[in-house]
Amino acid sequence: MLAVAGAVLLVAALLPILSLVAELPATARTAIAVLGTARPWELLLRSMALAALVTVASLAAGVPLGLLIARTDLPFRRLLWGLHLFPFFLPPFVLALGWFHVLGRTGLVGTESTSRLLFSGGGAIWVLWLTFTPVCTSLVAIALLGVDAGLEEAARLVASPVRVATRILIPAARPAIVLATLLVFALTISELAVPMFLRVQVFPAAVFARLGGIDYAPGEAFALALPLLPLALLLLAVERRFVGPRVFAVAGLRGMAREPIPLGTWRPLVTLAAWLLVLIATVPLWVLLSRASRGGGLMQVPRWLGQAPSNSLLSGAIAATVIAVLGFVLGHAAARRIRGASSLDALSMLAFITPAPVLGVGLIAVWNRGWTQPVYGTLAILVVGFVARYAVVGLRTVSSVILQSPRALEEAAATTGAGAWRRLARIVLPMSARGVVAGWLFAFLFCVRDLETAVLFYPAGREPLTVRLFTLEANGPPAVVAGLAVAQVALTAAVLALGAAAFAWRRAWR
Amino acid sequence: MNARLWPVFLAIAILVLGGCSSRSREVVVYTSVDQVVSEPILRDFEKQSGLTVRGVFDTEETKSTGVLNRLVAEAAHPQADVFWSGDPVRPFVLIKRGLVAPYESPNAARIPPTFRASDGSWTGFAARVRVLLVNKNRVLASATPRSIRDLADPRWKGATAIANPLFGTTTMHVAALFSIWGDEQGRAFLQALKDNQARIASSNGEVKRLVATGEVAFGVADTDDAQEALADHAPIEVVFPDQDGIGTLVMPTTVSLMRGSPHPDAGKRLIDYLLRPEVEQRLAEAAAHVPLRAGVQTPQGVKRAGEFKAMQVDYNQVAEEMERMQPLLKGWVGL
Repeated sequence: MLAVAGAVLLVAALLPILSLVAELPATARTAIAVLGTARPWELLLRSMALAALVTVASLAAGVPLGLLIARTDLPFRRLLWGLHLFPFFLPPFVLALGWFHVLGRTGLVGTESTSRLLFSGGGAIWVLWLTFTPVCTSLVAIALLGVDAGLEEAARLVASPVRVATRILIPAARPAIVLATLLVFALTISELAVPMFLRVQVFPAAVFARLGGIDYAPGEAFALALPLLPLALLLLAVERRFVGPRVFAVAGLRGMAREPIPLGTWRPLVTLAAWLLVLIATVPLWVLLSRASRGGGLMQVPRWLGQAPSNSLLSGAIAATVIAVLGFVLGHAAARRIRGASSLDALSMLAFITPAPVLGVGLIAVWNRGWTQPVYGTLAILVVGFVARYAVVGLRTVSSVILQSPRALEEAAATTGAGAWRRLARIVLPMSARGVVAGWLFAFLFCVRDLETAVLFYPAGREPLTVRLFTLEANGPPAVVAGLAVAQVALTAAVLALGAAAFAWRRAWR
Repeated sequence: MNARLWPVFLAIAILVLGGCSSRSREVVVYTSVDQVVSEPILRDFEKQSGLTVRGVFDTEETKSTGVLNRLVAEAAHPQADVFWSGDPVRPFVLIKRGLVAPYESPNAARIPPTFRASDGSWTGFAARVRVLLVNKNRVLASATPRSIRDLADPRWKGATAIANPLFGTTTMHVAALFSIWGDEQGRAFLQALKDNQARIASSNGEVKRLVATGEVAFGVADTDDAQEALADHAPIEVVFPDQDGIGTLVMPTTVSLMRGSPHPDAGKRLIDYLLRPEVEQRLAEAAAHVPLRAGVQTPQGVKRAGEFKAMQVDYNQVAEEMERMQPLLKGWVGL
């Protein structure tokens, strides 16, 4: 089974990369010339600086907020968490568009200065910070919900709440903090749409210029993307060192059953600060709604939506299902350190960090053949692309859950003669079902918010909603574009609501 | 779960995904014409012909080249039947690579020969024009710029905008200027733009936005961008530049039939439809395109070919210039 799952991942993610490697010899001279100039390295450094700043800012806000949500008596903390997390599941350029309607010169509070600030590196950091901070918050909160209650309660007998937080809780959440650091860094360094929208020059834009310019040069683009390879490997090594074998819980596993740490006299101030941060991040969404309402944008949305929402949902749902299955098989193998799983895990991370347009060109090269038209000419190509890019999401979610399950149960089953299939189906799956469902949901949300992967090879007439929004964005009537953005927000909200309902139903049923 | 279920699952997935489209009566068009303009026309063709139109549209940021590159990438197994280009030079990239099939539409007969290939490899119709968008709140009437060279005038330092010349009609515009001025003057102009801190916007739509909101005093974009800004009641004036000099660049949209396309007959029907005078008129009304055929009515404010001085360029030569100057442009943009 591991072989089948591995083969699916290899076909989806490795073949496109290999097809571009094959292009290298033909473009080697140009590639060396390009990499021999200072500019790509300057852009790479700039992208790394942007990613580092966004990561540091996200940690600075996300770690304390995660602590507040998971372990204190902050009022309405579950609602706060939900609201805080929501913008992360939207395409970042939708948020950038929203901020344009807030801070652009003719925006809600726009002046020449705010506009200049938005269309700068600072603006990109602002938008991406608000988008990605929930990753840190959520991973830290999830990890803290899984910390042994006895350990914390014992500490609280002799130490102040601040001391408990800094000496017990935050160190316990260190693997989650490292994972959040890597994820935010990886997401920021591969982000293309927001920097392009805000006219900030970054490394992925240089790669994209080799694919979007008049002299189409996929080999050159791949060569230019090569410096990302050691970076991906470095991220992987750091992750292996600090996160890999460590256990931390996944959403909802432990609940908030323990006595929360009282915030005391700080409660009003801390509450105000936390809610302010969360509500600021949702401002662009309300402004988009307001812009869509003016000029009849919402009324015109059905005319411009076409089949885009169903394309997004269908391709996303099937891709998420494949990813959840892969995540279950490969995540189990990775958690149990079965031979080969580590390489597949690394491949999934590499595909995630490879600039999406590069992966897209590789997918065209692999799948646009006579006999593969049932895949390339249909939504199936989106599924393949999503599986290649987001397999890591399912794999990591499931493996972190499986790490919490006692290995002894599987070993006991093995000694009684249960085969691998039986152990997976009867022991591992029931114990990690919630992780598999969470992996499916996360993967689905990643697919529905995707733009960069799909935009290069979506099948004619079958574009997902993000692509439709992007192709209409610059020239469509602003109210209609805002209306389509609202439709994307509504679609995401509906998916999340269904996911939350499914978890609630399962809890009640049990 | 059983290993034998994997192929079954994959087969079902492919059936669900692939079965959603009937491929017998359809036509596939790739277009760099703005989706907001092109899609309603394609939908009307669907109603009239009974064919399903499947479209691939460009994003503004990669306008004209995203779709073009996809056509190149898919050359081994063409997916598109028709390429409806937003400008007249991109088709030459495809023609050079042998990706275009000649087709002389009967509806092309009344289009002037300058705007179509004699072998039917491309046919031009409704044209856009490169114009200056000037913010009237920031620029006095007496100081209104009249030439493309005003973008580099130190009077307007930091107050002008031009779209990224690696993409869209700006590539063609710069190439056309090089073909008219020559290399030396062209390079000097690009350097002067840089020295004058002209903003490089991600797209013409972005230039329109910058001018409309007054973030810059003026910029260069296309007539359809100008019309959108005017429709939004933006305080802009539209200037046809260099009327007393080299003239204003005219860029017909063009259609080409793709070689080895999956539905060539349906593709020809779509081309015939797009080349009707009614479509040219509709493009004039919806997006201020200049009709190339005599006798097509235009709405108020939309000029016809012949009512202004057009830049005299050979589109084939501009296409060659455009490919030649790519390294220079990449360096200029900083990518």
